[in-house]
Amino acid sequence: MAEVRTADTAKTTAPERSGQAGQSEPAEPAKPPKPSAKRTLKDYRSEVKPTWCPGCGDFGVLAALQRALAERNLDPRDVVIVSGIGCSGRLPEFVNAYGLHVVHGRALPAAQGVKAANPDLTVIAVGGDGDGFAIGGGHVPHAVRRNQDITYIVMDNQVYGLTKGQPSPSTPTGMQALRRSVSMPKMAPYEGVLEGQLNILAMVIVYGCSFVARTFSSQASEMAKIIGRGLDHPGFGFVHAMSPCPTFYNTYDPWKESFMPLPEDWDTGDRIKAIDMAMEEVGDGVFHSGVFFQDVYRTYTDKLQDVYAKAYGDEQATIDALMDQYA
Amino acid sequence: MDQLDLTIRIAGENGEGVLTVGDVLAEALARSGLHIYTFKNLPAEIKGGASMTQVRVQDTPVRSPGDALDILMVWNQENYDIHVGEVKPTGVVIYDPDECDADESLALTQIGVPLQTITKTVIKTMKSKNVLAFGILTACLGIPFDSAKQMVSESRWGRRKEFLESNINALKQAYVYVDENGIDLGLRVAVERKNGHAQLIMTGNDALCMGALAAGCRYYAGYPITPASDVMETLAKAMPRVGGVLMQTEDEIAAITASIGASFTGAKVMTATAGPGLSLMVEALGLATMEEIPLVVVDVQRGGPSTGMPTKTEQSDLNLAIHGAHGEAPRIVIAATNTEDCFYTAVKAFNLAEKYQTPVILLSDQHLSQRAQVMSRPDLSEVEIVERKQPELNGSVTPEEFDRYEMTDDYISPMPLPGRHGQHYVATGLEHDEHAHIDYSPEAHIRMTEKRHQKIESAVNEPGFVQRYGAEDAQLGLIGWGSSEGPILEALDRTLAKGYKVAALIFKMLHPLPEKEARAFIESIPVVSVVELNASGQFANYLQGRLAVSLQRFNIITGLPFKAGEIEEYIEGVLQYG
Repeated sequence: MAEVRTADTAKTTAPERSGQAGQSEPAEPAKPPKPSAKRTLKDYRSEVKPTWCPGCGDFGVLAALQRALAERNLDPRDVVIVSGIGCSGRLPEFVNAYGLHVVHGRALPAAQGVKAANPDLTVIAVGGDGDGFAIGGGHVPHAVRRNQDITYIVMDNQVYGLTKGQPSPSTPTGMQALRRSVSMPKMAPYEGVLEGQLNILAMVIVYGCSFVARTFSSQASEMAKIIGRGLDHPGFGFVHAMSPCPTFYNTYDPWKESFMPLPEDWDTGDRIKAIDMAMEEVGDGVFHSGVFFQDVYRTYTDKLQDVYAKAYGDEQATIDALMDQYA
Repeated sequence: MDQLDLTIRIAGENGEGVLTVGDVLAEALARSGLHIYTFKNLPAEIKGGASMTQVRVQDTPVRSPGDALDILMVWNQENYDIHVGEVKPTGVVIYDPDECDADESLALTQIGVPLQTITKTVIKTMKSKNVLAFGILTACLGIPFDSAKQMVSESRWGRRKEFLESNINALKQAYVYVDENGIDLGLRVAVERKNGHAQLIMTGNDALCMGALAAGCRYYAGYPITPASDVMETLAKAMPRVGGVLMQTEDEIAAITASIGASFTGAKVMTATAGPGLSLMVEALGLATMEEIPLVVVDVQRGGPSTGMPTKTEQSDLNLAIHGAHGEAPRIVIAATNTEDCFYTAVKAFNLAEKYQTPVILLSDQHLSQRAQVMSRPDLSEVEIVERKQPELNGSVTPEEFDRYEMTDDYISPMPLPGRHGQHYVATGLEHDEHAHIDYSPEAHIRMTEKRHQKIESAVNEPGFVQRYGAEDAQLGLIGWGSSEGPILEALDRTLAKGYKVAALIFKMLHPLPEKEARAFIESIPVVSVVELNASGQFANYLQGRLAVSLQRFNIITGLPFKAGEIEEYIEGVLQYG
């Protein structure tokens, strides 16, 4: 049965200002992994086998994420992976951790709610280019503005896979994409894609994101490293994970040729240069991999500590005290 | 009648400060141990347009905004023309003779007080015009100057020392004017200072916020929308004081999905909105039903459809609240009846959400949310709080063995929380089995549909959500829901006193529907009518569909709350003429 108590017995003194809105009671004591029992990639494999098509780039992203989690030896109970709808939205099911699979386009707000209510959790949002930059595009700048410590991995295949191959916001404009797709001509039979191609990476940098990186699903160890850096980054981290769809828009060959690492002496602290690079590479027909930009700003959780210091100091207000203003 | 019952209206140009006069008067009378009930009617614009505020004062709890006016104060011609028709034959009009011409043909007591001129030439601070108006009213009510002075000092007009002197001077000029001109309405409203601590003066939105916090709400996400923004603003200040998080999101979809995310971790969460926002939230409401995630959504109803009438009241979101979502996504829908009830219904909303692991929609409305009323301070040691069912903290059950959606006797399954329980799972909006694995098989869909529906249906047995009033052998029965309770019960008492056999059944739970009580009431009374502030009779249609009965309706769509007198007239009309 549900537990019943009365309103005056609510915990009024926070042990520490963690902003942990969800829990006033202690967690079950975690069984600390012995140093010898360090977790491996397999510990993050769930009992559910991925449902993706053979050759899907998302397999690479899944493995890279699992490897990054293993390297950090995170307890699966402390990890929440949030996703929207699309092929990539199925990812949480395949990871041995908590998962929250929400409606189309809303992974970011749901992830922000998770993190706000319990900042101690490792929160990862995942999804595709349609989920994140078409239906959910309005949420991205605000997730960036809040700068919560969340890693957002966008698996960009430049096509809607789950609905069988319509063009997405990141599909190249005109006839270009149609040459590699049996499905897209159905949606754009005359002049190809009329809308321009969204420069996702440049957008996110311009929004003011504190960590922006790109990686390619065919470069597994590099991708694990980049996702790991995203996880380590204190703030909202954006990982543009290029992940081809061999079924509806097979870009493996051109992307293998056009991917190149950022210059060795790349300055990750220069936002303007990062924007330039993200804008210019389109014309050059290349994709750079690596961390385009990184800086550390105060997170939403950091700022909340200041709010709590002003709002209540050492001891939280009782509900009775809050009601005094109406007396 | 010995009982004090005065309805006072102040009307002027929006932005001139008339609303402040009403607020301060209401607060001052409430602090003096009287019961008040305010009513504002204003344009949606920030400045300009005719606006009015009304205070009904009684020495017992007030149940409706009041019918005709005992005192009307108007600051200009436009407002004189709008409101003078609503004054009782025995009522008094106070008007500014320099700003408007009184209609001498009316058989009313009309008193000219040159508010504008006195302010300009005697007080010389235009800001103090509303204090002068306040003083004219308190003097007319027979409140001694010293008491009025204390009222001003304790009000927002006394908060800043530098203005206090000129405000007290304005008050004094009011009493001088009333005295010099021999104005006496024969009123002697007794203002004694009672134990102010036991009585609270709150709006419905305030009470709802305090109820939510008392219930343990520690996460709120919302988007600004009239008339629900007050909830967010009140919580913006209060929530951090109890260690919670308040987030103003980019839209209502983000607000509800962020709330779902926070609840997934175990937080008690709420979002408040009005009709347009609720429309945006319905997809995510279905998600919360599917994933069995507790969530409180407050809908402060306003006039619709579309942008409609943001500052007017209506009970027209019922269909959306009960049925709004694709597929079949049952949820609990409850409604608050008055200010005090907003506190307790908010607590119940959280208790239901946590107990049944479901979204709960709490229906309020513009009038209920923004009027002020006096209520008794809640005794928190008497307020029962329900916590969500969770797995044992023994750590022995592995995620592989654990069934998040286990089919229990009551269809409610223990919910593990990230960071706390080792039984991690993936909550998904896709159809799933007990183990939370995606499963589209007929068996899984049938079982889980039953789980979702039976769980919600069982909530109908929760006590205190439907109440019958009035005559046992009634000839006419009125059915109401939510905020129309007050005017219905006031009309009931008036007509019972006149000898009419009438009864009322008030619903605070709308889904699941308390069918047993509804059927017993409807079958025991020859004529039953559903009283609601909408055009199509949404609750009447719903009852007819569920119970296969025929019902009368009494609907008003003025954008204004019911007056007890309107319902009284309706009752008399039906019982006299059928």
